[in-house]
Amino acid sequence: MATTNSEPVLTKEYFLNLGPQHPSTHGVLRVLLKLDGEYIVEADPIIGYGHRGHEKMAENRTYKQFMPNPSRVDYLSGFLYNHGYVLAVEKLMGLEVPERAKYIRVICSELNRISSHLLWFGTFLMDLGAFTPFLYCFDDREVILDLLDYITGSRLTYCYCRIGGVAKDIDDQFIEGTLNFIKRLRSRWTDYHNLVTKNVIFIHRVKDIGIIDKNIALKYGVTGPNLRGCGVPYDVRKAEPYEIYEEVDFEIPVGEKGDIWDRYMVRLNEMEQSCRIIEQAIKKLPRGPVKASGVPVKIEPPKGEVYFPFESARGEAAFFIVSDGTEYPYRIRIRVPSFSNLQALTEVLPGTLVADTIAILGSIDIVVPEIDR
Amino acid sequence: MGYFKDILVGGWSLVKGLEVTIKRIYRPVVTLQYPRHRIEMSPSYRGHIELKRFPDTGTHYCVACGTCMRVCPSQVIKLQGEKDKALDAKRVVHYYIDFSHCSLCGLCVESCPMQTLTFSKEYELADESRWDGVIDLVRYFEESAR
Repeated sequence: MATTNSEPVLTKEYFLNLGPQHPSTHGVLRVLLKLDGEYIVEADPIIGYGHRGHEKMAENRTYKQFMPNPSRVDYLSGFLYNHGYVLAVEKLMGLEVPERAKYIRVICSELNRISSHLLWFGTFLMDLGAFTPFLYCFDDREVILDLLDYITGSRLTYCYCRIGGVAKDIDDQFIEGTLNFIKRLRSRWTDYHNLVTKNVIFIHRVKDIGIIDKNIALKYGVTGPNLRGCGVPYDVRKAEPYEIYEEVDFEIPVGEKGDIWDRYMVRLNEMEQSCRIIEQAIKKLPRGPVKASGVPVKIEPPKGEVYFPFESARGEAAFFIVSDGTEYPYRIRIRVPSFSNLQALTEVLPGTLVADTIAILGSIDIVVPEIDR
Repeated sequence: MGYFKDILVGGWSLVKGLEVTIKRIYRPVVTLQYPRHRIEMSPSYRGHIELKRFPDTGTHYCVACGTCMRVCPSQVIKLQGEKDKALDAKRVVHYYIDFSHCSLCGLCVESCPMQTLTFSKEYELADESRWDGVIDLVRYFEESAR
């Protein structure tokens, strides 16, 4: 027996699933959009499709055994996470690291930051419909991957830092390659600007679109280039310097309004600043051991807890480790920047067009496995 | 007036963009045609682990102590040792790794007290079955000698 629905069918507003399998979402992100025609009324990001349980895994692994995991949390800036985890454990243990190891870690971290930003540059423009820049920046990125592959032995998920130093020393070939790469990247800026920054179509699609207000950004805990794009000069490397960031001279690029254009410019300028950090670090690179002596084979930090924030390519990431004095951590909590950055979208997206949603999603540079971890 | 200026400036920016692309055409090709051109692996490349052959004795030094087995985060390694009466020392008989679970962290290589583990340079490890990832390193070692 057919039933009749007495309520009228509403056609003014309807729902659209953006994802979980969508070419522009950089992973399995689902955004539930409530639309009024082409305009967005409500946006609800639904996460959790790529959950692998890294935090729970940590409880069943020793401090050393957890080493391969952090770089898989955010595979695009794997070295930075690997670095951050090691720093957190060292802080918990009160371990002093040799100077040379610190410099090597910072050089590799900044290289990884550039590679992450280059990938963002390519994929973001591909979201906007430009395919050519993607190929150019992947060509540049390939040089970094080869350089890091040369010393760490892997191209993406690095496991090079060790508790108390690094796995092995760098050599002249790596240093020469790095300096050549910086020279090459700087010669490419004009190409990138001619191809993208000055392009009229690009300017029309990004200027005054997707404005994240300063107050909203601070309310949601947005960090990294997204926050700096709003005009807040906050960078963990400056606010709470770790490693050798106090000794090198670099600036924090900031935007004005917080639209896509500002975020784009902040990231481009940040790559240049990373180049400066690498150059200075190579110039100051001291001689000496790369691994602290007297690091116990069994890592058993004293009872206590530590919160260690560091600047990943996407913002402030942190490791919170609770130790109960045994070989296994009691709890590891990872603070990921993409989670907060994504949540701010619920306030930014309403009122924009569907086509702009893709541009905004691309511009905040989310890595979904990092959110789900 | 502003309308025509916008068109001119905008059009010129597109021409400048095309100029970059056209210049690029005359630069050497960077893409490597993979199956036809082979890639040289970097010296620190990490493939699956293997037993290192020491040139002075022509064999490996694995004594089946099991340090690698205990340190492995993913329980990839299973090994079995037996006392060799001629050598009067324990020697490994079977050394199984399940490569499909390995995350190549290198803890086994670093923790080996005899330093007889090393990374191989193999990178074409795609297989048809999940069991093809299970390798007996002792047999692999003997076969590589031939």
